[in-house]
Amino acid sequence: MYLYRITKQDFSEFLANIKTKSELYAPIKTDAVRFQKIDNLDDIYLKTLPDFSVKEFFFRQREKLFSFNGNKVTVKIDKPKTRVFFGLRRCDLNAIAHQDFVFMEKHKDPYYIAQRKGAILLGYHCNEAPSKYCFCGSMDLKDCYDLMFWDKGNHFLVDVGSDKGKKLIDKNFKKTRLKVAEKDRKIKFTDRLKKKDISNLFDNPNWEKGAKLCISCASCTTLCPTCYCHEIKDETKLEDLKSGDRIREWSSCQLKDFSRVAGNHIFREPLLDRFKHRIYHQLQYFKERYNIEMCVGCGRCITHCPTDIDFVQLINEMKDE
Amino acid sequence: MTKNEYIPFPVKILKKTNESTDTFTLRLNWLVKHEPGQFIQISIPGIGEAPISISSYSNKYLEITIRKVGNVTNNLFKLEKGDEVLVRGPYGKGYPMKELKGNNLIFIGGGCGVAPLKGAIDYVEKNRKDYGNIVLFIGYRSPKDILFSHKHKDWGDKFKIYLSVDEAAPETCYSGNVGFITKTLEKEQISNKNTVVFMCGPSIMMEKSAQILENKKFKDKQIYISTERLMYCAFGLCCHCMIHGKLTCLDGPVFRYDKIKDSKA
Repeated sequence: MYLYRITKQDFSEFLANIKTKSELYAPIKTDAVRFQKIDNLDDIYLKTLPDFSVKEFFFRQREKLFSFNGNKVTVKIDKPKTRVFFGLRRCDLNAIAHQDFVFMEKHKDPYYIAQRKGAILLGYHCNEAPSKYCFCGSMDLKDCYDLMFWDKGNHFLVDVGSDKGKKLIDKNFKKTRLKVAEKDRKIKFTDRLKKKDISNLFDNPNWEKGAKLCISCASCTTLCPTCYCHEIKDETKLEDLKSGDRIREWSSCQLKDFSRVAGNHIFREPLLDRFKHRIYHQLQYFKERYNIEMCVGCGRCITHCPTDIDFVQLINEMKDE
Repeated sequence: MTKNEYIPFPVKILKKTNESTDTFTLRLNWLVKHEPGQFIQISIPGIGEAPISISSYSNKYLEITIRKVGNVTNNLFKLEKGDEVLVRGPYGKGYPMKELKGNNLIFIGGGCGVAPLKGAIDYVEKNRKDYGNIVLFIGYRSPKDILFSHKHKDWGDKFKIYLSVDEAAPETCYSGNVGFITKTLEKEQISNKNTVVFMCGPSIMMEKSAQILENKKFKDKQIYISTERLMYCAFGLCCHCMIHGKLTCLDGPVFRYDKIKDSKA
């Protein structure tokens, strides 16, 4: 397969063109760097890994499952316009693939499918690790994108990853014989996590170092592009207590309520257990069940931890028993 | 359009029976294929949804036995015959009754943990020839907590039954056994030969029972336990019911003991 080459100038025209037909989303720096609808192309900010992934666009933080009026249930699933996302890093693209696996392959979640189906994913390849906590190079990541853009200064090299992507190729793109070397698909200095099999480390005392610092704030699970735990609750309308909505909302295994049952028993009460649970779900449990590593090594859970817990370092320091 | 797994549907309550001061049984007009030990999701719109074990085995109705401990269960208690509730399911892996044909069965139940066991006991009553000796060890906190008392004579005629309460105040006029049911279990001569044990109850009771059974030369593979966890979706997506990687809603709630024994947190 050949690649395409597009100059930065033509690229702006390409994006402008996309904007006329669909909604364009890309990272913008405001209070944080997050994906937002682009009105002005100059706002696109590619200097860092966005603080927020695009998870919330597909697996929405809050989803109305149905409305009820007494025992009468009405389901209405809204579909967004065609959305094109640009600026997705390799980790985030893989995170979407993992969420696709959970919500579209293992389950047929109509809410996720409605949000995800029309979306087009344009990757932006990291020339180098955007953060010192990145460890995507340690994880089993794949090439999964509609188009991937390699930044080469005054131009991009572009790889087509799907039919959806191919349809976007217009006159601005020129075929080229240039290739992306296999080593350039991996990102340098991102193989921080030295030990991925943590099955024998569950009772390792080093976990306590992390748990001791943890304040159970749930930043890690909220910013994680692959965490998909959620809770369900009913909300009634004040003007008519018989009617309301059943809501699905992100939850966090870092919080005590995650395993609290009626009668007030909490199955995973010690902070140490909760701290380990997230990491074991990410690195071990998911893989045991589905043969895929859930974690993509974006490092957001470390970068944004208010008490600077670096679980990768904790694991690296552990000695096998 | 694919099936939306979250959507419940209404069923009518055919009968409501008060089992004890805080526990009641709802008989639902719902004919659905199920295994003993499975559970359903039941909800009252505006209040919420809760997973409840099936406590019957019948082709005419489905029963659930509920203890008033939380928001949903307290509100379910307010419902009467003729009212409707929303349900979905059944979910999970129950007791492998077919696989265990030809075995003697021991049931060890404590408190509202007797409810899922009753589903399996109902099954055995309907398929009596398929199983050998049946022994029930059933414990409750106090006389007022005893469930399914209307079944006791029947069970006593067909099976061997040991019933005990942890404590009984004199004014209750209770004349049965007093003491932890695990004490009775320890005392009785029970053979591990071709015998399988079903347990459900407080974790401390199940752990103690497992210990006693081990002393009586039972292997972990001969024991099935029923577990409880917080769950929302009931079909393996929300992950709240995870026990060291296992999902209570898909892999359980009934687990063979050797598969769950060492699962931490």
